[in-house]
Amino acid sequence: MSEEPGRLNRRTFVRGALATAVFLPLAGTLASCAAPSGGGGGSTSGKKSDKNPFGLSDTASVEAVIFNGGYGYDYVTYAAKQVKKQFSKVDIKVSPSTQIAQQLQPRFVGGNPPDLIDNSGANNIGFNTIADQLETLDDVFEADNYEGTKIADTLYPAVKDPGTFSGKFVALNYVMTVYGMWYSASLYEENGWTPPKTWDEALDLGAKAKAAGKYLFVWGKEAATYYLTMALDSAIKEGGPQVRIDLENLKPKAWSAPEIQSVFKALETAVKSGYFVPGGAGTQFTAAQAKWSNDQQAILYPSGGWIENEMKKATKDGFKMTGAPTPTVTSSSKLPYEALRSAAGEPFIVPKQGKSPAGGKEILRAMLSKDAATNFSKTRLAPTIVKGLVPDDGFGSTALVSQTKMLDAAGDNVFNYQFLDFYGMNQDQLVVWNSFLSGQTDAAGLTKGMQDISDKVAASSVPKLKVNS
Amino acid sequence: MLVFLVLPLAIFVIFVVSPFVQALYYSMTDWTGFSPNMNFVGLTNFVNLFQDTTFLKALRNNALLAVVVPFVTIVLALLIAIVVTVGGPSRGTIRGVRGAGFYRVISFFPYCVPAIVIGLIWAQVYDPAAGLLNGFLTAIGLDGFKNFAWLGVVATAMPASMWVIIWSFVGFYTVLFVAAIKGVPAELLEAARIDGAGRFRTAISVTIPMIRDNVQTAYIYLGIAALDAFVYMQALNPGGGPNNTTLTMSQELFNVAFRKGQFGYATAMGVVLALVTLLFAAIVFTVNRLTGGGDDSRRSSRVAPAAAPAPAAAAPTAAAAPIQKGGI
Repeated sequence: MSEEPGRLNRRTFVRGALATAVFLPLAGTLASCAAPSGGGGGSTSGKKSDKNPFGLSDTASVEAVIFNGGYGYDYVTYAAKQVKKQFSKVDIKVSPSTQIAQQLQPRFVGGNPPDLIDNSGANNIGFNTIADQLETLDDVFEADNYEGTKIADTLYPAVKDPGTFSGKFVALNYVMTVYGMWYSASLYEENGWTPPKTWDEALDLGAKAKAAGKYLFVWGKEAATYYLTMALDSAIKEGGPQVRIDLENLKPKAWSAPEIQSVFKALETAVKSGYFVPGGAGTQFTAAQAKWSNDQQAILYPSGGWIENEMKKATKDGFKMTGAPTPTVTSSSKLPYEALRSAAGEPFIVPKQGKSPAGGKEILRAMLSKDAATNFSKTRLAPTIVKGLVPDDGFGSTALVSQTKMLDAAGDNVFNYQFLDFYGMNQDQLVVWNSFLSGQTDAAGLTKGMQDISDKVAASSVPKLKVNS
Repeated sequence: MLVFLVLPLAIFVIFVVSPFVQALYYSMTDWTGFSPNMNFVGLTNFVNLFQDTTFLKALRNNALLAVVVPFVTIVLALLIAIVVTVGGPSRGTIRGVRGAGFYRVISFFPYCVPAIVIGLIWAQVYDPAAGLLNGFLTAIGLDGFKNFAWLGVVATAMPASMWVIIWSFVGFYTVLFVAAIKGVPAELLEAARIDGAGRFRTAISVTIPMIRDNVQTAYIYLGIAALDAFVYMQALNPGGGPNNTTLTMSQELFNVAFRKGQFGYATAMGVVLALVTLLFAAIVFTVNRLTGGGDDSRRSSRVAPAAAPAPAAAAPTAAAAPIQKGGI
């Protein structure tokens, strides 16, 4: 403290003036270079043909950044090898990332993003921010696969929907994800239990589990919103599509719909009766899931089809993991019990400004061809959007077999919703759900919390999703 | 001239000043962060910010952290520092308790572990079912703590998180204060002892006033660390804790920027965070000055007469000895 602060003498004045004179114009130029005027791209393209539907240049170099999560990233490397068989001179680099948004944000701003991105995981980029910078991918589905069949003809129905935002198909979701309740078939057989079809049955099962010294459910702090997904699925099955449409359009009081309230009440009863393993709000989610798959403290877990692969190393021998649809409120629900939420997941995107968007699409084409798609199902025990590649024994996986069965039983009664991911609401919702599941708030508090989050987004300036059906 | 003035100035301007100016600009736009396009929206972001209940909650959490964490850390660090340097036997030379060196090394250990590792370790310690803490508490018969979620209950999440931050910093500040106390002339402490002051009185009336500047610096550093606290909170409760009780501004900034794609709004949060940090430093300086410290001229007039003679007296003898030897 040798200097007196705050006093302006000749020296500090000159110093300040000099600094201002230097940095103002300089800062101006820097600001404009940090947020550049776009451009870039400039891809050289080859001639389009049936064998080369996107006009990939012979000598292109293609870069793919793949989310390295539950499914790893080497399945894309595998697909890249298939591309090399067709285009031997093309150079393809596949790199993993777990921080998609953080790592790629400057590259989007700088106008040099990679050619293919698996925009998945907790740190994905919200689609409302980048949708208009992405190539539409309709031509990928129109192209022939490496076996010569039109790709669109080989896929499950409605796989474009989860990647279509405001009418533009910009994200190709590769993995078929089935949402449901997962349990151990062997444990249920031993105890004579059956997966619940209504919430009354679920609460009965909770009482039985308690009598056997177990809990019905378990949750982890980062995955408390799996119970939100479960509650929504159940309410949508009970009340039909209108429930979902109101929620997706952020309608006021949408969360007070009677179907949602019935499910919340049932969950409140489960919480109050002590059917949840306590302490979930302080437990890391895979540790919590292991209490179900390994310790069998809890007997039922709501999740998506990735759960088998995720818990592979922490599953008890002879567990026989099996999926069942979410319970309905009554037995006279608008959609049948077999209805389920299923959607293609793992969104792959091709930025317009990449050096070789054609290369990105070519890798997708390889991934949708028989060789690479079979490789994925076989090694990751999950179905891709390509139909009929999973054999009856599900490569030895009971979960994979049950997923196929659930999809077949559901038929056309398959639905999905996008608003949670589209607006990036999960973080805020986790807070509310952790409080609710640990018994700190009741169904009314939960409803208010969810409605507040919805209202806040509705009032903000972010671009909105329009859902009509 | 060119090398010594222009170059450092240019580096400073490019890497320090210009990012500040840019941040100010971005905070007044609706930039999504993933495109080069943005619109100027004036102060809208700041207006929204002060109506945003989540952000205001984060701001309050940070304020609480900035009050509690530095205070507790400094009290603990001072306590340990005094005990290991001057808290020893009341006979003979002024020294620390037996085994002082050992305690000093041990207390420094946590500082050698990276913050993120500390966060992850403690997250495991606090685990409701498999955690060390509940394992210990239930083992000594406190069955109420079975499955108790330290980081998942509103009442305990914040104190438990604060403890982790305090635990990680105490060692470093202990060492800092030990070094400062070593600079206090032993004669002063001996004089106090001869005058009949006990260990506690010596610490309060002599040691702490003598190292006042170090304490102030520590307070500011710790306050800034507490206003950030990102690493610890992200490791302990990435979701912001129960009812957002441990959510910090930096975490909220991160969510809004990368998960919600509102970089303009997030930058406004960053600007507010910077202002709060400056405000905090200003408060600490003011409080220190009002309570009679920090001012060079006044302090030297008060302390120097006692302190100065000692080194002054010691120096000539030390310096004189070799000369005499050389003379012989």
